[in-house]
Amino acid sequence: MDEKLTEASSKDNYRQEPRVGVYVCHCGGNISDIIDVKAVAAALAKYPGVTVAREYAFMCSSNGQDLIAEDIKNLGVNRTVVAACSPSLHELTFRNVLQRAGVNPYLHEHINIREQASWVHKADHDGATAKAIKLAQAGVEKVLRKDALNAIRVAAEPRVAVIGGGAAGMRAALSAAGKGLEAVILEKGPRLGGKLLELGKMYPSGEEGPAAAKKLEDLVLAEPKITVHTGAEIDFVSGFVGNFVINFKKPDGNMAQVKAGALIMATGYEHYKPYKGEFGYGEDANVVTLPEFIGLLKNAPAGRLEYGGREIKSLAMIHCVGSRQVEGVHKPQADGKVNDYCSRVCCTAALHTANQLKDKYPGVRVYDIYRDIRTYGMKHEEYYDKASRDNVLFIRHNEADQPAVTSDRSGHTVKVKDVLTWGEELELKADLLVLVTGLMPADISLIKSQLKLPSSADRFLQEVHPKLRPVELANSGIFVAGTAQYPMDVTEAMASAGTAAAKAGILLAEPDIPLEPFVAVVDEHKCTGCGLCPPECSYDGALTMGEKNGKKIAVVNPALCKGCGACVAVCPERAIDVAGWTLDQFDAMVDAIAKE
Amino acid sequence: MNDIEKIEVDALVVGSGIAGLQSALDLADQGYSVAIVEKNPSIGGKMISLSKVFPTLDCASCITTPRMASVSHHPRIQTLTYSTVDAIKREGKTFTAAVTRKPRYIGEKECISCKRCEEVCPVLLPDEYEQGMGAKKTISIPFTNAIPQFPVMHPEHCIRCGACAKACPKDCIEFLQEPAPVEIKAKAVILATGYETTPMTAKKQYGLGALPNVLSPMAAERLLAPHGPYGRVLRPSDGKVPGSIAYVQCAGSRDKSIGVPYCSRVCCMYAIKQAILLSGSLPIADITIYYMDIRAFGKGYEQFYNNARAMGINFVKAKVARVTEDAEHNPIVRIERQEGTSAPEEVKHDLVVLSQGLVPGCDGTAFGLGVQNNDFGFVQLSDEMVSSAVTAGAGVFAAGTVKGPRDIPDSVVDAGAAAMEAVSYMRKL
Amino acid sequence: MPKKILIITTNHSSYPGADAVGQARLGYGANTYIIRVPDPVMFPEDFYLRAYAKGIAGIIIMSSGSDCPYEGAYERLSKRIARVYEKMKAKGIAANRLKLTTICTVCRAAFLKEISEMEKAVAAI
Repeated sequence: MDEKLTEASSKDNYRQEPRVGVYVCHCGGNISDIIDVKAVAAALAKYPGVTVAREYAFMCSSNGQDLIAEDIKNLGVNRTVVAACSPSLHELTFRNVLQRAGVNPYLHEHINIREQASWVHKADHDGATAKAIKLAQAGVEKVLRKDALNAIRVAAEPRVAVIGGGAAGMRAALSAAGKGLEAVILEKGPRLGGKLLELGKMYPSGEEGPAAAKKLEDLVLAEPKITVHTGAEIDFVSGFVGNFVINFKKPDGNMAQVKAGALIMATGYEHYKPYKGEFGYGEDANVVTLPEFIGLLKNAPAGRLEYGGREIKSLAMIHCVGSRQVEGVHKPQADGKVNDYCSRVCCTAALHTANQLKDKYPGVRVYDIYRDIRTYGMKHEEYYDKASRDNVLFIRHNEADQPAVTSDRSGHTVKVKDVLTWGEELELKADLLVLVTGLMPADISLIKSQLKLPSSADRFLQEVHPKLRPVELANSGIFVAGTAQYPMDVTEAMASAGTAAAKAGILLAEPDIPLEPFVAVVDEHKCTGCGLCPPECSYDGALTMGEKNGKKIAVVNPALCKGCGACVAVCPERAIDVAGWTLDQFDAMVDAIAKE
Repeated sequence: MNDIEKIEVDALVVGSGIAGLQSALDLADQGYSVAIVEKNPSIGGKMISLSKVFPTLDCASCITTPRMASVSHHPRIQTLTYSTVDAIKREGKTFTAAVTRKPRYIGEKECISCKRCEEVCPVLLPDEYEQGMGAKKTISIPFTNAIPQFPVMHPEHCIRCGACAKACPKDCIEFLQEPAPVEIKAKAVILATGYETTPMTAKKQYGLGALPNVLSPMAAERLLAPHGPYGRVLRPSDGKVPGSIAYVQCAGSRDKSIGVPYCSRVCCMYAIKQAILLSGSLPIADITIYYMDIRAFGKGYEQFYNNARAMGINFVKAKVARVTEDAEHNPIVRIERQEGTSAPEEVKHDLVVLSQGLVPGCDGTAFGLGVQNNDFGFVQLSDEMVSSAVTAGAGVFAAGTVKGPRDIPDSVVDAGAAAMEAVSYMRKL
Repeated sequence: MPKKILIITTNHSSYPGADAVGQARLGYGANTYIIRVPDPVMFPEDFYLRAYAKGIAGIIIMSSGSDCPYEGAYERLSKRIARVYEKMKAKGIAANRLKLTTICTVCRAAFLKEISEMEKAVAAI
């Protein structure tokens, strides 16, 4: 998976009678001090199928490589077994030797007799030698059953479709275009900008959300390689890596279609909506969410903070509304699950808002009711500091002791057990309650079901691996950017979108997408169409039942198959194999190893 | 010297930690040629020495080694390890970097990584890869999965006995090797020089370096690694299996007194991770984490924190004033609880780990080039609301913790975006 | 002839793990034969039974476990191996001659422990 050959050789020597060359390396004593390399070469020279067997001080050296190249040229060797150090060091070296000499590089087998023999059997020279012979013989059996392999090429649409035109979607399209790719943004709203358009003054830059959106939008609109469809309502998405098709409805009601080689999901988030009665929300007008309060603050005149015609002299912010929820304490969402994740951005957003409030209305008393303050970013701690300096009163509670709100005409009373004052039950009077709501993924159930996109327990899109493949979905060719994956701020969404574009750029670097040849292959003659293999496959659409020449057979889509071989194990006819790693090869290897 | 090695590539990546490796791969996989310069003898940065990584608890080496192998085998990537970037100049559209290959005192073209020299060398040194807890030979391969697998000799400790030269089957020990200059020309530069942990010199009251059983988090990582110095968790002073271990959070973060007012982002999570691993290897040990706020803000992190609590790891909201020790070198932590009672207490543990924060590894402005730093010495972006990698220096991009603390997933993501900005820039040249 | 142990490793983690044992110059018996595959999930149940019939004394499957790069493969593998155990029982092959375990790229001690346990199991045959 990590070694990439530049391109497999075109000469199909494998059609010729197999002529195996075996090369045993001394590794300057590292192998030959323990293993009798001459005995190994002698034993292999007599083995069926072997044309020549040699031993040499350093097979990896230029001279050693030349030995192989000359045998290919002079003796017609067309498959090689090298018994030397670990394949992690030199398998690629020898594949390249074959390739340079005009032999398909996959017709090579690398046998490890250093890390896995001479270095671990120091006290048993005979045993190590016998083992090396067996392993080399097994290698010969394997290479005799190998086929020349070439990268599978899938023609790709040279275009990236970005679903969602918020901050992440715009950045992803810009980065893809920067690489020279065509990008198409499909945005359901009437203009680009997404949630930025609703936000007030943003951390860390202090810009207003719409102004931040405008900067990206100007760049997008100035980029000739980007096409923008606003008001686009996605109807049907289908296809696979290299060949996705998106049908969407335009604002004028007409249908349109975009074809793309890669998809970037930049579908963003929604604010958590408190249920009716959650801390009085929806029942009492003076309970608002943080985004609602930000809107209020933005438009409020200087001097006096008013809401609903009344002056607000005191205000309580309650953190983690819709985040860090606990089963049994919080009401679950419609799917029966609570939001047990941290929404990452709300602590900083709340304190940044408290700072602005205190700057504008220093006289308003502010209570901040929290569990942990998570101002993790480079400058975020300054907002926390400033809030403390501005006399925002921090009250910390445990998850089991949720604040209780009662309301009457005089305002709200928040009862909360404050651990900072050693568990004292406080009663705080507040004119306005601000619920610091978390983030949930935007509703993309239609696309998710059509493309079978995976989501994690938190309902956000699930990457393949957070470190190895952090923006790739299990569906090849589909990437995730920004808050569709998890809550993050704009600066983080820029990184996420940039890297999603990088992955799309790598995928579409050439007109054809080269795929690893190590995928399942069905022998049409042997396959009886019994249908046992598709249920074994974990990759949707990779292995299905189809028809060929009127016969029902299993069909592999190499663009979707990952080559794990789960299907191989269940075929009663041995009609399916992973190219390069066939069952016959392993049976023959075990035969060779087991033989007395 | 007239035989200066000259390299011409599209992009120069400075640093080969996880961010540098990922940037290089994301450039090379798009067809650009890359030179990576790494000051250490192996690529892999800090990550390769970690035990397991949060929140998936994958083995760090299993995640890093495939990346290292991809880089070292990549036809478009050249890697210069054990090399320093002495200067970078911009001339028109081209950067010219003056690089020095430090001598390893072996012939790299000949070396077959057999370790014969290491086996016979009679001089032992503290092994910095094991955070000083183990020993290595004066000529040795830096660690098991180092890439490249070349030994490095430390001439200041070498006794010139010649044993290595006699043992070498390739006759490639070169006692007289000199530093070799290299000139690298590139169109774009990616700074991925990473971080260091906060020095504790300004926080002597925590006892790091003075008290044997007060450890850095990196040392704790090595203790927990499956291939660590002792092969199990033991405390350094007497080899005793610790029964009570404490973590001191924000040791060198959120602390204006030492000039690190910011949160280092990773310490809560690595402490929780180490606590989980410790409770796996020492099931009956008491593990306590003294903290101010637990910042488990990434994907899957809150759940990870909850798992740790369910496993019985003790989270105590308290500030730690100082760490001392008793006659048996048991660390004594003086805490002031922030919940429960307020009277200062002294708690005895067997082992204490200071959750050190992150500070800049290299000065990004050192090369000039127009790059600017923020107040804390990390590279400042020109507009972080528009791009995560563009610095004030044209053609110079930043990836990973050179811009400020971030965890591994965030660094990997960040690195790809930096590669993409470099691509956009080079295409416009 | 010593009793042979077949060790099935993965490209992703346990094969590099076996290399790490060698790099550390640790030792184990030369009756061990390591083969590597993308994922042991590819082997049908009778692959193991055939191996015993051919004369292999013990088989250790060193999977990548939770580090497995293939979706759902480890779960399928463990179910498959459970069925192999049933078939082994029916044939009177001792269950401890087959072991499914997880070995990471640096799990040297665990690697050696698995081999020494299998040595004991095959010695009892």
